[in-house]
This record gives sequence, C-alpha cells and structure tokens, in this order.
Amino acid sequence: MSAAGAQSLRPAWGPSLGRWLWLGPLLLSMLVPFAWMVAISLAPAAGTSFLRALAGPWNLDHYVALFAAAGVGRYLVNSALVAFAVVSLNVATAAMVGYILGRRRVPGERWWTLGIVATLMLPKQVLMIPLYLVLARMHLLDTYAALVLPFAVDAFSIFLVRQFVIGLPIELEEAARVDGASDWLVFRRVVLPLLKPVLAVVAIQSFLANWNSFLFPLIFVDSDRLRTLPVGLALLSQTEHSVDWGFLMAGSTVASLPVLAVFLAFQRQILSGLLAGAEK
Amino acid sequence: MTRARRRNGARPWLAAGILDARLLAGLLAGLLAGLLAVLLVGVLACAPASKTRTIVFWQFWAADVVTPLLAEFEREHPGWKVQMEQLTWQSGREKITAAVASGKVPDLCELGSTWMPRMLASGQLTDWSGGVGDLRPQLRGWELCSTGDRVFGIPWVMGTRALFYNKALFARAGLDSTRPPETWEELHQAAAAIQQLGGDARGFGVQAGERYVLFKKFMPFAWGNGGRILSDDLATSAFDSPQNVDALVYYLSLRKVGMLERQDMLDRAFREGRLGLQISGAWLFRSIAKEAPGLRYGVALVPRPDRERGFHASFAGGEVLVSFAAAKEKEGALALARFLARPENAQALAAAAQSVQPATIGADTSAYYRERPNERLMIEQFETAVPTPNHPAWDDLEAVIEDEVEQALYDRKSAAQAVADAHRRIAERIAKR
Amino acid sequence: MSATIHRSGAAHGSRATAWAFLSPWVIAFGLFGLFPFAFSLAASFTDYSPIRAGGASFVGLANYARALSDPAFWSALGNTAFFVVGTIPFTTTLALALALAVQPAFRGRTLFRVGFFVPSVVSVVVLSLVFKGLYASNGALDGVLRALGLTPPAWLLDPRTALPAIMAMDVWSASGYYMIIFLAGLEAIPRELYDAARLEGASRRAQLAHITLPLLRPTLLFVLVVNTVRSLQIFAEVFVMTRGGPLHSTTTVVYYLYEEAFYRFNLGYASAVAYLLFLITLALAWVQMKTVRPAGPEAR
Repeated sequence: MSAAGAQSLRPAWGPSLGRWLWLGPLLLSMLVPFAWMVAISLAPAAGTSFLRALAGPWNLDHYVALFAAAGVGRYLVNSALVAFAVVSLNVATAAMVGYILGRRRVPGERWWTLGIVATLMLPKQVLMIPLYLVLARMHLLDTYAALVLPFAVDAFSIFLVRQFVIGLPIELEEAARVDGASDWLVFRRVVLPLLKPVLAVVAIQSFLANWNSFLFPLIFVDSDRLRTLPVGLALLSQTEHSVDWGFLMAGSTVASLPVLAVFLAFQRQILSGLLAGAEK
Repeated sequence: MTRARRRNGARPWLAAGILDARLLAGLLAGLLAGLLAVLLVGVLACAPASKTRTIVFWQFWAADVVTPLLAEFEREHPGWKVQMEQLTWQSGREKITAAVASGKVPDLCELGSTWMPRMLASGQLTDWSGGVGDLRPQLRGWELCSTGDRVFGIPWVMGTRALFYNKALFARAGLDSTRPPETWEELHQAAAAIQQLGGDARGFGVQAGERYVLFKKFMPFAWGNGGRILSDDLATSAFDSPQNVDALVYYLSLRKVGMLERQDMLDRAFREGRLGLQISGAWLFRSIAKEAPGLRYGVALVPRPDRERGFHASFAGGEVLVSFAAAKEKEGALALARFLARPENAQALAAAAQSVQPATIGADTSAYYRERPNERLMIEQFETAVPTPNHPAWDDLEAVIEDEVEQALYDRKSAAQAVADAHRRIAERIAKR
Repeated sequence: MSATIHRSGAAHGSRATAWAFLSPWVIAFGLFGLFPFAFSLAASFTDYSPIRAGGASFVGLANYARALSDPAFWSALGNTAFFVVGTIPFTTTLALALALAVQPAFRGRTLFRVGFFVPSVVSVVVLSLVFKGLYASNGALDGVLRALGLTPPAWLLDPRTALPAIMAMDVWSASGYYMIIFLAGLEAIPRELYDAARLEGASRRAQLAHITLPLLRPTLLFVLVVNTVRSLQIFAEVFVMTRGGPLHSTTTVVYYLYEEAFYRFNLGYASAVAYLLFLITLALAWVQMKTVRPAGPEAR
C-alpha cells in the first residue's frame, strides 16, 4: 500500500476496493440520519416519514420559507462573524500556549496543563450565571464581544496543540537556535509551519463548536440583531409543544454546509504531508 | 549529521516558508482589527438613552404574532417604545434566571404558570395589587399569580387540556362519533373498541413518564374524582385518599386499551389517525390543521368518574405577565400589561397562536369562538380546570407525584402503594420548609 | 529528548518568551474564568438561589453532605459512569480504526473522510431530535428491525434501553470527530520510520504496534481525556430525548444539577454537585495522564 502522500500516483482500484467493502456500509449507516434530515427538508408533503420523503415530490418550499423568515440572513452573518473571530483567536492562542506547554518551557508545566484542562471540567450550566454576572459588570452583554471574548482562548485547542508538539522532533528548532535565530523567529519560521496539521484540526473543531453553540449565545445576547443561527432557528421552529420539522431540518442543513466547507478546506492541511519531505 | 544538513542548504526557516512573514503579519493585523471591531461595536451598542422611554418586554410568542400589538400600544402611548425580545420555550428559564440573578431584568416579562410558585416566593416580583384591582372581575386565572390577597401579575392567556377523539376511528369501531365519552366507563369502552380494530389503531394515548407533562395528564382524573394534593392552607398533604387511588387504578387500566408514549409521539399518532383518544392541548389544533388537515376529529371535556359523581376536571395553566422589582420602567410595564390583557388583544394573541385562549371572562361569547367550537370547548374546560397549589416547593411536589405515578406505570408498584408513597414524600417535603 | 544535550538557555529559548506566550491563557482566565470558578466554589458552600432576593447564607458542607447522601445523586453518578465506561472504549477504538483506514491514499478517501465527519457537523440538539424520531415506535429503526423479523424494544421508553440508546447515538456521532484528531496525529509520524521498518521487513501489523501506536500516545491521551471530560458532562442529548427518564434511568449528573439549578433554583447545591463532578473528572484525567505517557526518544 503506498504510504507517501505527495509523490504517489492515484492508487489503483484494486487495493481501494477492499477498503470500500468494509468502510462503505459503515459510511452509509453514518450518513442515514443526515440523509433523513435533508430528505425531510426537501419533501414538504412527506411530513416526517423518511420513505415517503425519498419517494414523494421534492421542492424547495421549506428553504424558501427559511430564507423568507425574518432574520435568517442576519443570523447567518452573525454566526459567520463570530465564528471567524473566535476561530482566528483560538488558532493563534492555541499555537502559542500549546507550543510553550509542549516544549515544557515553564516550570511545573504538567500542572499548568492539568490546570488548563481543568477549566473544561466544570459544567457550563453552573458557570453560566457567574459568567453572565461578569459580562454584565463589564457592560458587554448584548454585544458581539460577549460572543467572542470569553471563548477566545480555548483549553481544548491548547491541549490538542500541546499533545501534537510533544510528538514533534525538536531538532529543527534547536538547529535554528544554534544558528542564532530569535525565539520569535523560531516559532514563526520553524514551528508554525510544522503545526499546520494540528492547527487545521483546531480550526475545524473550533469552528464546529462555535458555529453550533447555543446556550451562551442564547443567554448573553438579547437583541435579534446580534442573534446567531442556532438560537434563531430554535426561536423560529420550536414552539412549546411542537417542532416545525421541515423548517428546522432545512435550517440545519443550511447550517451544516459552512461547517462542511470549513472541514473540506482545512482537511487537506491535515494531510499536507509536510513532514514527509521537509526534514531531508 | 547536523552540519551535513546545513551544508545541503536545508534552512527552511530562512527560505520562503509556507507561512511567510507578510502573511503572518496580515493575519495578526486581521486579528487585531477583528478584536478592535468587536470591542468598538460593544461600546457603541451602549448608546445613550433616547428621549422616549423604552419598555423591555420578554415573551415567548413569535414576533409576527406580537409585534402588531406592540405597535398599537406605541401608537396609544407616544412617550413609550417597546423593545421586545423573544425567548425560546426550551431555554427561557435559563435566560430569566440569569437576568434575575444579575439584576438586569426586563421591565415586563411573560412567565408560565408553572414557574409562578417559586417566583412568587422569591420576592422578586412587583406587587400589582393596587394597579389591577379593576381588572379582577374581567379576567380569570388570578390564582396563578397571587399569594394570599396580594397580586403579582396579570393573567394573559390560559391553557388547559381536553379529550381529543378521532371521529373516523369512532365510526370504524361502531361508536357514535357525535357522542364522545363523558364518563370513565364510556372512555374505557370506546378505547377498547378502537383497540380491537387491530392493525396500528390504538385506543387511548397514555402519557409515559415525561417530566412536567405526566402530571397534567393524570391529575385531571384524580381531581375529577374529588382527589386533591394539599390541604387548603397548603400545610399538609392530602394526597393519600381513595379518590386518588381509584383515579390511578383507572389510569393504569387504560394502558391495556391504548398505547404508552411521550406527548409528541402521541400527538403524532393522533395526527396520523392511528390513535383514537388522548388528552392533549390546544396546540394540537394548529398542528393538525397544518399537517393533517383532513383529519376528522373532535374535542370533549375530560371525562368524569360517572354521571352522578365528580366533575370534568382538567389542568389549569396559562401565561402571566409580571414585572420585576428591579425593573426600571415599572409604570410602563404595568401599562403595557394592562394593554395586552385587554379582551381584543388577548384574543388576537390566542387567535394567532391557537395553542392558548384568552384569560378574559366571557371570551367564548366572541364571534371568533362562536365559529370555532373546538377552541371554545377549551374555554369551557378551563372553567372546571384546577390550578396547582401555590406552594413554594411546588416543583418538588410535582416531581414526587410524577415519579410515583411513573413507577406505577412501569409496574414497579401498585397504585395504592404509589399514592401512599407520594403522600409520604409530599409530607416530608412540606415539613422541610 | 535532546534536552539532555543542550542545556544553555539560548537553545531552549528564553523564559521571557515562554511566559509571554502563556499570557493569553492567563489573561483570558483572569478575566472570564477565575470569577465563575471562584463564584461557583463559594456558592457551593451557601444556599445561594439566583432568584431569591437578599443574600445567601453560609451552610458549610451541607450541600456536599446532601449530595453524597441523596440516592438520586448516586443514581445519576451511576448512570454517568455507565455512560462513560460504555462509550469511550468504543468511540476511541472506532475513531482510531477509521483514521487508520482513511489515512493512506486510496480512491474516494476524501469522500470517506467527509462522510465520517458528517455526524459531528449537525448540532447536538438537532441530532438528538433526529434520533428521538428514529427511536420512536413506528420510527425508522423499528421499521428496519421489524422487517428483519425482530420485535424492537420501546427504546427511549424502556428504562433498560433508554441510556444504551443514547450511548449508541453518542458513539456514532463522536467517532468521526475523534477520527479527525487521530488523523492529524497519524500524519505527524515521520514517513521515514515506516520506510525504514519496511526495508527491514516489518509487517504492517508490526509497524502498527511498534511505530504507529507508541507515537500516537500523545494523541491517544488527548482523545481519552477530552472524551472523558465531555462524556462526564453529557446533558443536551438527555434533555432533548428523555428529560432524564424513564424512571430516572437517563438522568446524568449534569442533568440532575440542571434541574436543581433552573427548576428549583438551588444554585448553591447545584454548584456543590458540579464541584463533586469536577473532582471526579480531575482525578480521572490525572490518572489518564499518568498512565498514557508519551513515547520517549527511544521510539525513534
């Protein structure tokens, strides 16, 4: 089986077929609920029945209703703005903090890491009210800042980068330092390129977490003009006792497209094969 | 080895790397700009107050339902503007809790009747006893927002539960579809007849143990049979009674002539014409009209034990308008609340939402309801509906009752045992306060 | 590592830079993390209720004592433990298997990568709603099982199957997500190690055992710790699908404290429960960090 990514030709179908045999059914089963979502959103006449949705007439009525609903465009823009800001900040800070931890450059680094990871261990249902109080005191409630700043530095991403850095060979950095490169130059020129695969993962997972985030945007923002997509969709499709399935599924399908797009864009970075040839 | 590498010119950190200096600088600049923009918008959002006074109103209904009413209010009261924020049903609790905790409360807020006991006990609501005295004869539901003789809110719209039945299934089972069951016996017989049709037809939809819902489906039978939960002074438990035990025995017996499911699945089964009878609420009108417009169904009062005994009891709930003690625009809040509670406005909301009815006494005589017998029946049902006791620990008591009834539903204990255990736990809970 | 050879500060990089790079986290935590954690800790020793006017009074360890003596808490803890033990091995193994399967180049690789990731893309609330519909009687899953001649249980209504049903959904949706993380870890392993091993005649299985898995240990530790932390806090799925029922069989610790916090407004007690969970999570993470040590230089 060919291993090197960059140099190999498109692999033959023979070995690929073996993989398809066992991965194929698994993939289908994984896709079924998503297929259900999309099918329901495209077949208004079928209600919530998958089979009838597959058979019945397909049209874009639910999508038309979705975009005709006041605010959906704005919710999309808000979600996009906030996600972009949060992801950029997450990637930058995770690279910096994760690198320092991974290279054990502070005393008691193990404890620092445990402490940073520990901030993930208190459920947000309990953190929510004091955090609300903090934001209220800072006069940040009902602003974009409330949706971005508390989430700018993410322990999950830092931990991810740290683990990755631990596995990185240190020789390149040492060589650069021996050559006289400054700390910052080493980080920028040597380390960051090597971090591309993990930073791509950080970008993907950070975008995903933020894009679908519901509780904090719900609590910290009141105004409709700042509302993000998950909250907006819930407001538009869910009443006390029922769910407007077609609308919600159309909205969720639309909401999942940017995530898939980000994933597609970044997943190639994960497999850039950079390390394959860079050292020699 | 290292020297050899260097001689080969492998100095990637000096070569034009993938992340070249310009790109990195650009990224950082973008980040900084983003941060600044965020902070700037945040600061600008705190614009100085304009000359008109703003009433912040939090409520649950869709914007297109409520906004026309608010526009009308602003026309009548030129000095005031209403800033409406819509809450989600599932997570409105968290938002209101955070707001109350921080003191950043809305001026006027809609609260569900199930939240009222705790809110009333919290001391955070504005006392409106003086401001709504004249409205008392005009609205019903005051017990939902009062403690003693002090009033802390205005009832806005009411919601209750009634018996929905499928006329087509009735006809197929040989039952008279113009005569829905009025007594427990008739209900059981009708459900049995439909159950016997076989296929995927089921008689009565028994509510499975769903928190905050089971209570509203079981207690009508208990109340209708003369059972109660607490004594009048709310000081002792009155749950262990033969009436409650008989009601639970009856409710359990309905499992054999029906299906056990959660509310949304029962509603779906009813819409799809598979379920003959169930206790449900007015939201079903809208979803049937939308998803199963051809369904032939009817609504009736919740059956009572028999023609001589008991009454057609149901659950009394609704939405109440309250203001918080920490609110800024108290005067405006009261004015807006009074405006919204006017018969025509409450009617407008009820007509648009369809899942509730106005709290106005005599609403059923309006032209709108004369044309809609099903919705009018909800108002009639409300007249014999029972509100839950306004005990501060009500949530715990409701949880106890649901817990015990659920255990009986799953055959973990007998009805008599469940009622006795519930009585004991209710008494323990009351004693703690 | 090579740290033993170079000891000079210049080769390590300066301390000043280290602290400077650490500062974003410190600042962010100082602003947005410290107060919530401290407040919750303080609240756990009081009878704080967010809606009650007037302050809260100190109750010492009463909240903790109440939690530890409440059968409902232990039941929730038991459900949560069952959830964690019953999902993490499966999620981790499946994610790793998928990553190994889609890492080498083969036709359609990207399709599989995207496809396996798709379940994670949908928000957890919507996913839970979808599964609630799938698990319903007369739902799609029941239809398939009946077609196979089996009688399906009442998944979410049966106390014995409700929690496993939610667990299955969790494994299903989380595997693709952790697959991506394993993929990044796999990519970091230098190719020449595999090349050298193949030249020496090592089989694929030996390569897996002696190169891949040891070098994946940091990634594996990450997946284990993060998955444990998240599984111990499982809430949204329960909230949407079962509300903690039937018969409290799906009540997890966070669901238990949610009800305390937002239905009974006992935030003091809920904070105590949260900190108990915090201690358990911390202990588990510490154990995991100690046992899954990253491979040293000898692996190279």
